[in-house]
Amino acid sequence: MSGVDCAKAMAHLDDYLRQELTQELMVEVRRHLEHCRPCFKHARFEENFLIMLETRAARETCPEKLRARILALLRAEARDR
Amino acid sequence: MAEPSAAGQTFDQEALPHLDALYRVALRLTGDTSQAEDLVQDTMLKAYRSWQQYRPGTNAKGWLLTILRNTFINDYRRRKHEPIAMDLETIEPYALDRSIQEVDPEGSFFAQIVDARVLEAIDALPDEFREVLVLSDVEGMRYAEIAETLGIPVGTVKSRLFRARRQLQADLYSHAVEMGYIQPRETPT
Repeated sequence: MSGVDCAKAMAHLDDYLRQELTQELMVEVRRHLEHCRPCFKHARFEENFLIMLETRAARETCPEKLRARILALLRAEARDR
Repeated sequence: MAEPSAAGQTFDQEALPHLDALYRVALRLTGDTSQAEDLVQDTMLKAYRSWQQYRPGTNAKGWLLTILRNTFINDYRRRKHEPIAMDLETIEPYALDRSIQEVDPEGSFFAQIVDARVLEAIDALPDEFREVLVLSDVEGMRYAEIAETLGIPVGTVKSRLFRARRQLQADLYSHAVEMGYIQPRETPT
């Protein structure tokens, strides 16, 4: 049986979702989630939250005007050396 | 960039791909597009001038973000709406957390919230929370990289991140209720 109970699984949940646990703990937490419905739901909640952040808040890109300005400055800098 | 020197070439290859991430982090730190543009430009110039200090093949994104953050702290005005000072370690995140999960156990409401509102909620976080959340959950940096970039212990990164996430969830939950994405459960009085 898994050595991870609900309290321990939930305490490690954030780190589990970001894959910041040791390989051994990753396996144990995953095993617990597979067998515990409330913890599984909680994990889905946190996962959906992280997916939202990753996809919705990382869409902005550097404006082309700024990119061009920086490239021009770097070229000038290289010439002056 | 048509830069003939070897140094210029590695800078192009290793630094330029991170412009989008630098710009996003600058936006979240300054809360202002024109300041964010200046900050990214200053950062790239400083990075170029000290490129010989960068060890090729190491974490260029972290190196650049460290310069960006130091530049921000030293040279830029803090955002106008400085969040109310609070004791970061004493915020109690659990109560709201539970009530959210009773109503929408799997958090499907997150998918309904528009991008602009997500960013607004991130921007409303206290500075110390916002920067770890952006570096970790938006830009995908590892805890250890964030600790190095911010000059704080990994344990502090984790505790700030934990509280930042809970605070953001609570804010987005209230928004989702307001917008009618979810119906709060009637609490018997």
